Amino acid sequence: MTGVAVRRVLQAVVVLLGVSVLTFLLVHLVPGDPVRLALGTRFDQSTYDALRERAGLDQPVLTQFLSWIGHALTGDLGVSFRSGDPVTLLILERLPATVSLALASIVVALLIAVPLGTASALRPRSFLDGFGTVVSQIGISVPEFWMGIMLILVFAGTLGWFPASGYVPFSQDPLGWARSLVLPAVTTGLVSGSVLTRFTRSSVLEALSAEHVRTARAKGLGPRAVLNWHVLRNALLPLVTVTGVQLAYLLSGVVVVEIVFAWPGLGLLALQSVQARDYPVLQGAVLLFAVVFLVLNLVVDLLYSKLDPRIAS
Amino acid sequence: MIAVRRRAVLAALSASPLVAATACSAGEGVDTGDDTGGTSGGSGGGAFVAAISAQPDQLDPHKTTAYASFQVLENVYDTLVVPDGDDLSMQPSLATSWETSPDGLTWTFTLAQGVTFHDGSPFRAADVVFSYRRIIDQDLANSSRFATVADVTAPDDQHVVITLSEPTPNLLSRIGAFKGMAILPEGVDESTLATKAVGTGPFSLQGSSASEISLERFDGYWGQAPDIGGVTFQFITEPVAALTALTTDQVQWTDNVPPQKLADLGEDDSVELGKVASVDYWYLAMNCAKAPFDEVEVRRAVAFALDREAITEAAKFDTARVNQTAIPQDSKWYYDYAPFTTDVDQAKQLLQQAGVSTPLTMGLMVTSEYPETVTAAQVIASQLEPLGITVEIQTEDFATWLDREGRGDFDAFMLGWLGNVDPADFYEDQHRTGGANNYQKYSNPVTDDLLDRGAVEPDEARRKELYDQAAKQIVDDVSYLYLYNPDAVQVWKKGVTGYQVRADKAVNFDTVALPS
Repeated sequence: MTGVAVRRVLQAVVVLLGVSVLTFLLVHLVPGDPVRLALGTRFDQSTYDALRERAGLDQPVLTQFLSWIGHALTGDLGVSFRSGDPVTLLILERLPATVSLALASIVVALLIAVPLGTASALRPRSFLDGFGTVVSQIGISVPEFWMGIMLILVFAGTLGWFPASGYVPFSQDPLGWARSLVLPAVTTGLVSGSVLTRFTRSSVLEALSAEHVRTARAKGLGPRAVLNWHVLRNALLPLVTVTGVQLAYLLSGVVVVEIVFAWPGLGLLALQSVQARDYPVLQGAVLLFAVVFLVLNLVVDLLYSKLDPRIAS
Repeated sequence: MIAVRRRAVLAALSASPLVAATACSAGEGVDTGDDTGGTSGGSGGGAFVAAISAQPDQLDPHKTTAYASFQVLENVYDTLVVPDGDDLSMQPSLATSWETSPDGLTWTFTLAQGVTFHDGSPFRAADVVFSYRRIIDQDLANSSRFATVADVTAPDDQHVVITLSEPTPNLLSRIGAFKGMAILPEGVDESTLATKAVGTGPFSLQGSSASEISLERFDGYWGQAPDIGGVTFQFITEPVAALTALTTDQVQWTDNVPPQKLADLGEDDSVELGKVASVDYWYLAMNCAKAPFDEVEVRRAVAFALDREAITEAAKFDTARVNQTAIPQDSKWYYDYAPFTTDVDQAKQLLQQAGVSTPLTMGLMVTSEYPETVTAAQVIASQLEPLGITVEIQTEDFATWLDREGRGDFDAFMLGWLGNVDPADFYEDQHRTGGANNYQKYSNPVTDDLLDRGAVEPDEARRKELYDQAAKQIVDDVSYLYLYNPDAVQVWKKGVTGYQVRADKAVNFDTVALPS
């Protein structure tokens, strides 16, 4: 077990290094010039040169990369071209909003997926199964921005239950935080939930047809006991993996939802950095996304082997 | 099994209404606004909440070029002079009066007394010198506004002398027309200006986060103290969300209004709609350094083929006015000249004269950053079709767009110039041979001469004549193909008083009062 963990961590470090090199190159390959953008249309050459030099962009790309990676190794991700703030600070500032939204979305998704997926599997081709299929199909196909806007119009506009947009920090006002969280979390949760519902359904179906379930039934175990002890435990195991992936996806920022709800998370930060060609922030954000994916994958794998001893051995 | 299923379904179904119920019963009041008011310690009048569409990139007034930053900074910083809200003529602000030497080369400003910065330090002439020198010496974003400034000195605490290398009749609008020329206290820690603002304005910066910036009333303000306790700017990109926030009292003001919603808003009794002709203009420019657009007949042919009314209607509904010169009708610098009527036959003749054979392909570069350019381009494409010109619409993100514009890598592009006040702002950098922003590479010695003389002409009537002639030349040569001047459109809650929509889109909340 420890051996596996050490090996996986080492692998992760190599992957991270690869990601940094790739990100740096890709970011610099994208057309568009951050200095030109910062100056806008009213641009004059001497100002341009001064700004470019200040940002270190007059240096060769290799020099820029070595300087960046050198600092990154010591935990210094540089400063934003746009605001002059340290990248680490910008990311840390956005983290609570993103983590709140990602966790709340996963809760919403699981609240939909586990009951609906299980119920559908228990009665395949029933009305409920059909309902589940339709709902998850809608959830997967409807664009998030449209869903978000509809939720805003109904629950913020017409009913006035929740704020139309914005984020309230938990430390400032826990209740306001919860209220601001509901609509964006439901929007992303519906999408993730739809994916997870389909997954739960097929994995419960599979578990139901397993030999040991038939044995359990044959020896006279009640339906509830069979479901709890023999079906769900096995069926939900793969769900851990998929949930982990969904969580990583949510943590790396759900850009569209963050824009619609003015949610100041990492997705919005990444988008703004792309638009502004704010290289340091973009590199920092991508690096963080890579770390999140790697760590969550690692945790899921380790958790998995813990839950299913067959894998560890 | 049935029991399990029922419970599971119930859990799923009740999830959102349950949360909704708790959230709802916990308080109907909207907390965002009250929060700031409560903590700001303002002694009367709550905080005013405004929704703007983007987050300011930074708060250093000398470095930022973002409109979102200036929306906030407008309320925090002062300039020596300031445009009047009605006609944009320059009025005293931190400078109470000024004198110009007979040769027009020396301007002496007398400064207001009893003015204090937000950090408590008194305002003196040295602060003006420090601020202007900072822009000039460090080549900051607005240094070109000081292109003719030879020196800035402070003979005493109350006077500032600006010496010029050539007469600059529009000096006042150069130093006052926008907050990029703000006055900072001498010796301020420049490294913190991106996040901490220290001005002399009616509001001081209280705090900022990734989702909002809050200002509080500055009790030491030298002018009329604001009625409201502070202003919170929330960043809401999505217009539907911004409007919903307004109608549900989450915010009291926004300028993030989609044009197609204006008709509905006009009928909504809970909001007020403010619409004023702005000093912005939108245009199409063809590459004068690239065949066949280097031929003036070709550019004129395009100008004759377009129906500006239709383009404007599609891009802006009824929130813009068609214009064939740059300067809007309400400006005292307006010049009534509109030589192009939609006439495809004449356009075809011009193409023939130029010896250009059709079909001809014209790449038209637009940017998703300004969706109205994308919409307008589609109409333009359909209007140029009968002429035998196939328009290839190239939609770029703004960074790429600017990059291509700078490199001259285009047949034609569309964009706007925002916040112009003086005629030099409208024409000089854009149309002078080799001008800093003459990306279309237009060059005509007649225009150059007129612009040069206009720049230094002290007599206003004479100056207008020179710019009128320059405008005529520019329009005839189709250096820019002018399309329209948009309105500044802003909405606020019914009952909010004292707010004025301005042609330069400067957003001032110091005179605003909330409904009692």
